[in-house]
Amino acid sequence: MTAAPPEFGRHVRSSEITSFIDRAGIEALLEPWLPAAADRAFVTRCMLGEGPAHHRGANYVLLRLLGELAARVAPAPAVAPDQVPVPIRLPPHVPRPADRDYPLALPRRVVARLAPDAPTQAAMLDCVTDGPPQHALANAAMLCLLDAMLVATDAPR
Amino acid sequence: MSDPTLGHSFLAAAGELGMCSAAWLFARTLGDDGGPAMVAEARDQLGRDFPVFDAVCARYLAGEREPRVDPTPVRAALAGVDRVLVIGVETTFLDAAVAALDCEIGLLTYGELEVDWPRVLANYGGRVAPCELPAFQRYAGSRGALLTFLYGAQAAVAHVDPAWLRVVAGDVRTQFRELIGWEVLGGEMYVYPRWLVQAPLVDFSWVIR
Repeated sequence: MTAAPPEFGRHVRSSEITSFIDRAGIEALLEPWLPAAADRAFVTRCMLGEGPAHHRGANYVLLRLLGELAARVAPAPAVAPDQVPVPIRLPPHVPRPADRDYPLALPRRVVARLAPDAPTQAAMLDCVTDGPPQHALANAAMLCLLDAMLVATDAPR
Repeated sequence: MSDPTLGHSFLAAAGELGMCSAAWLFARTLGDDGGPAMVAEARDQLGRDFPVFDAVCARYLAGEREPRVDPTPVRAALAGVDRVLVIGVETTFLDAAVAALDCEIGLLTYGELEVDWPRVLANYGGRVAPCELPAFQRYAGSRGALLTFLYGAQAAVAHVDPAWLRVVAGDVRTQFRELIGWEVLGGEMYVYPRWLVQAPLVDFSWVIR
């Protein structure tokens, strides 16, 4: 029995992978957490303008849909008081600058829902803030949106 | 006019002033000395070797006498930035930027031409700090920026100093808030742009023309 020949051309064209990305739409949904336009542009570029194209597209789809849901559930999101920074990845020999973190941080309280104890919480935070900035920042943005929606839908105490 | 030393003189000047800044100096000096005919002759003699000089001579012969140097958009692009590392030398433009900016400025002391870096930096009286290639990430951060000069930016690409490509890789682009390209030539080059390399404009957060 001979193996079937490999199929090529099943993927969408390279030129189409990121053609749907609308950076302005993502910048707009980040405004509550990043009031400065330059900060929004920087973070959005890292999520949607850098790294493998399919990740850019995936970040856009997930953020945009979460943003749509958040706009319905939490139209005026409250930024969490306790923020966990997303570090800029630099070689170890480089002195750490004061602005060594990305402008977008993530809310500790959303992770604390899953891990009340400190070691587990630290492990979860390490997972979501480590890795390429494209992933870490998208993780942070998604957690900001999820936090806003969870806070907005929490049962009143 | 067929001066075999002119190319060597231009190369030495281009190393310390930058291709575009040196080209305007040479074009004006030649023009003052021998008029447009001498500029045209020099262009014909050296244009293939120095495409930026070729392009600048073309602009001179079209009636221009100096480059357009406006640091205002550079200042705007660097709003909120604490430090910027300049990659590549164009002293006419760097002089204007230094006068207009209030952030920390570094100059990457790496290039493909032989440059007396202490002499270049001495012109800035300590305002511009040297930075060697392995240390360029000292300027990284969410308030850090990189700036280089563009030569003939088109719709999607521009030519840049090769040092830009030594620095700006995929991992580095996310370490700096702004990646600024500042057009210095003001038009495309007519001959093959040796000494320079092509870079896509999407690699820049700001393209200043």
